[in-house]
Parts: sequence; C-alpha cells; structure tokens
Amino acid sequence: MGSLRVTFVQQDGVEKTVADAEAGASLMVVARTNGVEGIFGDCGGCCSCATCHVYVDPQWQERVGPADEVEISTLDMVSDLQRSNSRLSCQILLRPELDGVRVEVAPGE
Amino acid sequence: MSMDSSEAQVQAAGCPVGGDLLEATLTDPVVQARPNAFYQALRSQDPVHFDAKLGMYLVSRYEDLQTVLRDPLTFSVQKGYAEQYAKGFAAEFKEIVTRDGGGFFTDAIMSDPPYHTRIRKLMEKAFTAHRVKLLEPQITAIVSGMIERMADKGAGDGVKEFAVPMTIAIICAQLGLDHFDAQRIQRWSIAVTAQIGRMQTREQMLAHAKDICDLQNYLIARVREREAEPREDMISDLVHARIDDPEHPKLTFSEVVSSVRALLIAGNETTATALGNLLYIFATQPEMAARLYQYVDDDRMLNRFVEELLRLEPPVRGLSRMVTREVELGGKVLPAGAHLLLLYASANDDEQEFPCPRSFDANRGNLGRHLSFGAGIHRCVGLSLARMEIKVAAREFVRRLDHIKLAIAPEEITYLPTVATRSIERLPLTFARRA
Repeated sequence: MGSLRVTFVQQDGVEKTVADAEAGASLMVVARTNGVEGIFGDCGGCCSCATCHVYVDPQWQERVGPADEVEISTLDMVSDLQRSNSRLSCQILLRPELDGVRVEVAPGE
Repeated sequence: MSMDSSEAQVQAAGCPVGGDLLEATLTDPVVQARPNAFYQALRSQDPVHFDAKLGMYLVSRYEDLQTVLRDPLTFSVQKGYAEQYAKGFAAEFKEIVTRDGGGFFTDAIMSDPPYHTRIRKLMEKAFTAHRVKLLEPQITAIVSGMIERMADKGAGDGVKEFAVPMTIAIICAQLGLDHFDAQRIQRWSIAVTAQIGRMQTREQMLAHAKDICDLQNYLIARVREREAEPREDMISDLVHARIDDPEHPKLTFSEVVSSVRALLIAGNETTATALGNLLYIFATQPEMAARLYQYVDDDRMLNRFVEELLRLEPPVRGLSRMVTREVELGGKVLPAGAHLLLLYASANDDEQEFPCPRSFDANRGNLGRHLSFGAGIHRCVGLSLARMEIKVAAREFVRRLDHIKLAIAPEEITYLPTVATRSIERLPLTFARRA
C-alpha cells in the first residue's frame, strides 16, 4: 500500500479519490484497480489504444508533464476528444510530487 | 485525404444479397467476397441475426459489439473459440495432432479471466508502442530490401511476393526464428486460420492437420532449444518468463508452444492481409497512391492513412464468442450457449459511429475507434507492430514505385474462403520504379 492521493473525475461527475496509490504505478492501473468508470486500458498500458484517456487538471499539467511523440500519435487517433491537457493515463507514472493529482476521465467508447 | 472508394460504389449498386436477407448466409463465398451490402442489411433489419447455415448469431452493430467486448465473462472467448475450432471435424483433428504433432495445444490466449490475465500480461509487453518505435529502422530495412528486389522487375504478386514474405520476415526476426522457409510458414498460417474459418471440407481438414503437425513439431524443437540454452529472442523470453504467481511461476510447455504459435501465425497472416488491401487500393485508386506520396515524410498523416485503411478494410472480419448466461443483446434474448460471430467489419461500417462509412477519410476525428483490432481485454496484442509494418510498407512502396496497376481484372481477384478474415489470395501487379 502506498500513500499517494489521486482524484479521478468521471464523465458522470462522480469524483473518486484513491488515497493509497503507490509510487511507480501508472494512473491507468490505479484507476482500473479502484473501479474508476471510463478507464479501460485495453492494451494493458502499452500506449497503443487510447482507452485510458484523461484530461489533466490545468493546475497539475506542468508537474505531470507533456506526452511524448509516441503518445501524441496514439492520442491523435481520438482527435475528436483531444484537448491541450490530454494524456494517456497509462503513461503517467505516479511519483511523490504527483501526490494529490487530479484528472478528468475523457469520454470514450 | 478523403475520397469515395470505388469499391463502395460497386457494393452499394450491386447488392450481392439478392432478395430476402434471411436467405443470405455468410457461408456463401459471394457474400464473403463482397460483404458490405449484407452487413448493411443486417444492421438495419436484424442486427443480431441467426445465420442458420453457420449456426451462429451475427452481431453487426457497433454498439452491440462494444457491449459484448466489454463483458468477457458473459461473452466467453474460450467457449466461443473452442466451439468454432475445426468445427465438424474437431475430434478427428484433435486425434491427428495429438498423434503426429506433439499434442493438442489449446490456445492459451483465447481464454477467459482470470486465467487469461496471466497469459496476456506476458505477451503484451513485447510490442508496446514505444518498443515498436525502436524497431522502425529494422522494419524499414526489411521492407525496403524487399521492394528494391522487386522494383526493376516491373511486375510481381503483391500478396505472394511482397505482403506474405514481408510480414513473415518481420515476425520471425522478433521471435528469433532464423533460416525459416516463408512458403512453409504461409502454408501453416493458412492451415491454422482455416480452423476458425468454417469453410474446410474433411479432405482440406486432413491436409491442414498435417501442416499443423509439421508447424508444431518445428516450434517444439525451437522451444526445446531455448529451454536448453536461452537466446536474445522472444521465444526465450516466453520460455523463461517469471510470472507474479507463486503457484504457477512459469508458463507450462503447452502454454509456451501455443503462445509462440499464436504470435507466429497472428503476427503474419492478418498483417499480410492488410498489406494486400493496401496494394489493391494503390492499384485501383492511383489518386490514393499519389496523395500518399505527398505525405511520405509526414508521420502523422501516414498513421492516419493506416488507421483509416484498417477501418475501411479490416483484415479480421469476425471472431466468435459464446454466451454463458441468458442475456439480451440488440433487442434479442440469447440463451446460454448461443454462439456469436462478432462482425468487426460491419461495426466499422456502422453509419451511427462512422458517417459515410464506405468513404476513405483519413481526417476522421474518431479514427482509432474502429474495431479492426477488437476491443476490451482481447484487443490485438500486436496492434502497434501491425500498424508500424503497414505504415512502413505504405511509405516505402509509394516512395519507390509508381504506376502501380492490377495485372488482372478486378473481378478476377479471389478471397480466401473463410468467415474469419477477408483476405485477397493473389494480387498480380505491374509497376515502375519511381523516376
């Protein structure tokens, strides 16, 4: 059990806060293991399917950091839902400075 | 990049269903070859339609496929696949491969959770998008070499001389199979995929079973070599992988053989089909090749082109599931034990999800939501590799060759007899080296 805090805002407006996430885990895995709706992670965290799409809260964007080239090309496959704060949650690994991070689940399938 | 596919016009005009939908069947080779009007009729008239000849419910709407794909316990891959496998001859097939092919190795990956999760975890890390990106130079070298060898001949078969050997060379390099015989691997691939195609006669089944024995004996020897001495390849990785499960810390021998077989066959057959479709489009719609040539250095547009090609012409037409409890789907109540064929190709054609579905439009905002790779926990594990191979092939083909034309009439193109895929069998082409 870790001690990092993460908040997911689902498409239905429900907020799910996980208080015991571990450093090193991806946000996608944290979401799936805690029953966050709308995060599927079909490809298992391989940055290939865009089913774990989130919008990072603007206040957290700088600390979370930008998507790399490979992630940008996967996000482009769902460009209708893409925003400037789009990330694939499988590519965001938790670390102490992300304690408290807040993301909104993008609409999906 | 946007234009109407001429295929779409042909299919919309000349409806191959002819009369009552309920009379048509996916077991009809004419429907298999030109299926889009049939799919359209299914979606609009009877979206979960029982095909009596096939003995399966055809699921045709995007939304219903999503429902099925997101509920792997109600809709079992393991039961659906086992029911489909070598249907009509299953006992005899099993006896032959057990006797002459080292055993009957059920496909470990075609299973349900929680067992599936254990196998899947080991396979998915092999082809992450980032890892595949690192393979791009190696893949480009293989593809360019093959095109260069064809370029000055001016003619060749796009499927037999390009698509098939290319995808086989790439997956063999990954698995660590050197000195392979591409023709043999192609024969094995056809034999394996025929087991879920539902179109083989007993004589064909016997020939396929013999090929599968040959395949398994070959793979068993390669696995034994890696058990004795690990190498830097994917077979060794699977043989020696440690799983986070104290009771079953390693894959069993049977799981390794079936996983390597799955990677080898799925790793070449469907991608080769996609490449055949790509070359068919180049040959019949030269404006597409010309347009693509303008984008040859634009990775984003190349990726979009590939994704739309996959949506418009999915290599895998449909795969099976079995219902494990009574459930309603698309307005129909299905009993436990109902056998389903999920028509990915029809979902990609669903106008509710993709407006003007028969038009090639690489600018779609929802390109990536096609179902050509499936969805949910069984989504294709090699999708990044497949995309990369198609992208590199498209790029290097138009970069090097021009005036690509069919050397036979379009009506002479034949497709493999199967309900599972839609694959061009041979594609004679003429072309010139780009000046």
